[in-house]
Amino acid sequence: MFGFGYGEGFPDHSIASLEPIDNDKILIRTSAADVGQGVKTVAVQIASEVLKLAPEHFVLSEGDTHITQNAGSTSATRQTYFTGHAVKEAAEDLLGNIYHYASQEFVTNHPEMGTKEGRVFSHVDPDQEMTIWQLRDKLADEGIELKGRGTFFPKTFKPDPETGQAEKVYVGYTFHSQVVEVAVDTITGEVTVEKAYSAVDIGQAINPQAVEGQIEGGTAQGLGMALMEEQIIEKGRTLNPDMSRYLVPTAVDTPEVETILIENEDNDGPFGAKGVGEPAMIATAPAIINAIHDAIGVRFYELPVTPEKIKEALANKEQ
Amino acid sequence: MKITFTINNKEKTVEVSPHQRLLDVIRKELGLTAAKEGCGKGECGACTVLLNGEPVASCLVLAPQADGAEILTVEGLLSEEGDIHPLQQAFLDAGAVQCGFCIPGTIMTSYRLLQEKANPERQEIREALAGNICRCTGYQKIIDAVELAAEKWQAGGEVQ
Amino acid sequence: MSKKYIGKAVKKVDAQAKVNGEAEYTEDLINEFSDLLHMRVLRAPHPHAYLKDIDISEALEVPGVVAVFTKADFPKLSEFGLIIKDQPVLVGKGEKMRFLGDAIALVVAENDAAALRGREKIKLDIEELEIVEDPLQAMEKGCIQIHEDHDIEVTHYLNKDMCCDNILSDNYIDRGDVEKGFAEADHIIEREYKTQFVEQLPLQVEKGIADYDNENEEIIIWAASQWIHDTQADIAQAMGVPKEKIRLKQPVIGGAFGKKEDISVHIHLALAARELKRPVVLLYNREESMIAQSKRHPQIIKHKTGVTREGKLTAWETEMIMDTGAYASSGPAVVRNAMFHCSGPYQVENVRAVCYAVYTNNTYCGAMRGFGATQMGFSYDNHMDVIATELDFDPFEFRLKNAFAIGSKTPGGEELNHGVNVKETIEAVHEASNWQEGDKDD
Repeated sequence: MFGFGYGEGFPDHSIASLEPIDNDKILIRTSAADVGQGVKTVAVQIASEVLKLAPEHFVLSEGDTHITQNAGSTSATRQTYFTGHAVKEAAEDLLGNIYHYASQEFVTNHPEMGTKEGRVFSHVDPDQEMTIWQLRDKLADEGIELKGRGTFFPKTFKPDPETGQAEKVYVGYTFHSQVVEVAVDTITGEVTVEKAYSAVDIGQAINPQAVEGQIEGGTAQGLGMALMEEQIIEKGRTLNPDMSRYLVPTAVDTPEVETILIENEDNDGPFGAKGVGEPAMIATAPAIINAIHDAIGVRFYELPVTPEKIKEALANKEQ
Repeated sequence: MKITFTINNKEKTVEVSPHQRLLDVIRKELGLTAAKEGCGKGECGACTVLLNGEPVASCLVLAPQADGAEILTVEGLLSEEGDIHPLQQAFLDAGAVQCGFCIPGTIMTSYRLLQEKANPERQEIREALAGNICRCTGYQKIIDAVELAAEKWQAGGEVQ
Repeated sequence: MSKKYIGKAVKKVDAQAKVNGEAEYTEDLINEFSDLLHMRVLRAPHPHAYLKDIDISEALEVPGVVAVFTKADFPKLSEFGLIIKDQPVLVGKGEKMRFLGDAIALVVAENDAAALRGREKIKLDIEELEIVEDPLQAMEKGCIQIHEDHDIEVTHYLNKDMCCDNILSDNYIDRGDVEKGFAEADHIIEREYKTQFVEQLPLQVEKGIADYDNENEEIIIWAASQWIHDTQADIAQAMGVPKEKIRLKQPVIGGAFGKKEDISVHIHLALAARELKRPVVLLYNREESMIAQSKRHPQIIKHKTGVTREGKLTAWETEMIMDTGAYASSGPAVVRNAMFHCSGPYQVENVRAVCYAVYTNNTYCGAMRGFGATQMGFSYDNHMDVIATELDFDPFEFRLKNAFAIGSKTPGGEELNHGVNVKETIEAVHEASNWQEGDKDD
């Protein structure tokens, strides 16, 4: 389980804007940091959906404090939810403005109009048609800027300091269950995670391939935490400050993961989506520890469970 | 001292110091920045390039060792027109790229694997890539990508 | 209505540049600067000591060294930090170093080798103090205080001798009546769980370049950040300059996982670029990154749980002590996030939790994927399995019986009224894995 967003009443929001540029592109301005998880792609997919315009027409601004506004952090599993919403609102705002100004050009009502692949047109009179970029140029002559702006700023509440209770602590919760199959070599103490099955309550995956990528990567990090990773600090000094002594999972350590998406679109995120970055890794360490118990009858209470600890535990069990 | 080598099919002569690392020559002197430094100790694989056809951690190779050698980096996989290589395309199609920092090194190791073995098993791909650390993907989609590239190759597309 | 672009495996918009080598990470921008200076940071030689004196005269004589900056050069410098401003940009004379990552001097030179040689020539005189190695030691009566000015009024004590001087934050949940819940239980199961220091280990370590824009009197910084506007604000307040004078540009980021939420290279580079009016680069190596930047918090977690013979949870009590290391960073939020996940996605009417974040002289801890809930998740789901094993419940049935549904309350008291598909996830993995009790190969 993971409650996402900063929660607890902290001000938490994202601001985005969209504007037509060049002759066939829409610029999405957001400062949301893409650390590889794919928030830029999520932003493009959402804007594409709203504007009915293919992803290749969108470009993203560079992250720059002086040309973008606050999108909050890439943390708390919040960017799909917060920046996804902000981009959706910005795209809807732009779409609304396109309808508004095009209807003035066409002298028609909104219900009689449509948009598709960058064109805005009248259903009534097929000659009434222009591209978003033509509309932008016409408006520019009149001193009007065609753009859309969106802010998403949901509310949570600060829990009571004595009881820790609040009506709404986080903006939403992502749930993830995992079953892992492990093999334990009782001679070397080595644990092999052979297979993982994940089911994630994601609401709606904006990009299923990217969600799978989060689950697979999270599983690898959970495996590392369960079985091998520990920065050893003694008297304030790190004894293993490099990658030959601090081991992370390699391609031969990680399992194949089968990911099942539970998509009930029953969340407040954009198109019903929830975030997935952090909940992706939470289930793995306990699943592995529980599987080890199932395999050899030994329960571990302290991480990481290294081969030495397995051997020691098995020796103690024999006695 | 001066050394001469071929990199991405182009001959280069550069002035280096005897203890300069090949990685620095490639990145700084030649401005080819795809190969990355993740550890500087040959532990992570991010700086992998092909040296005379074999994957090496270029942070552990001294520049003079590359004298007369043939070097290939990810930039060298692009066609003359700048189109990406089918192996690179497979990484895109499989969704194997997250932060991307390990990707240039991982692609070079994969490239060598596919030259050696046209149709590797998943476990063989895993073993070949064991020296290329990726912290984002859990490797699954990277392995999918190499499999996908192998299939394309089998289907008649050139891997090279 | 069917959707055209949502729910589709659209190719990552930034992936092509990452496979063909065009993507520009911070270190890939170096070639674009012609007169770049190189910085190396001298860090604390001891994890807990007073800096009595510092002598930089020999360092300044090293050929190629352009400047050596110490706290004395910046009398107006303030502490920084994500939530509490408790971390010094530079430890000055008479001040305390609290972990081995604390910066003492910045050596700037025409090349990296000269910066390294200069750093070796700096002489320090320190007065060593007792090292606080773990949070239990930090909470022992009479323990030395790590932050001399830190003052906290703790509400709940674990024992009457408990030392509160090093407690960064104390946090509580008290819902329903835990004693009544234990009285209703047929079994009470209590265990302790421990987690370790984990390194986020993004493949790209901390790197940055800063330059000074004379025309706009702006400092421009190219460096990864998970939140450029917050990093900008933290830099500006530490340096005492208006926010708009700090411009943060975000190159492509080589992974983060929480590690790039905190300030790293940013303020050191900004100071040097402003003073020298030249571009300066600072490249951490892996060792420096692991020692000087944040870790996942180790937690000591005790769960005491009441359960009926039918397998219904009646009470859940959690006590957690978390090592936050030398500085607060995200600690005050991480401890609360852990607490609000103390019993996981399992419905319990009566919940009590006491959770502390405690200063030590270890590398400071901050954000890492899961933000405290990962450690807590290891403990609560291990604990659920312990209960199932002890009481001979089927592990799926037991979880399903207690799993959240519409109307359940989270540990923080929030009633869930939509988006609750926990049971579906449990059932889905049960089916996919073709789970059978005792399904084992030798």
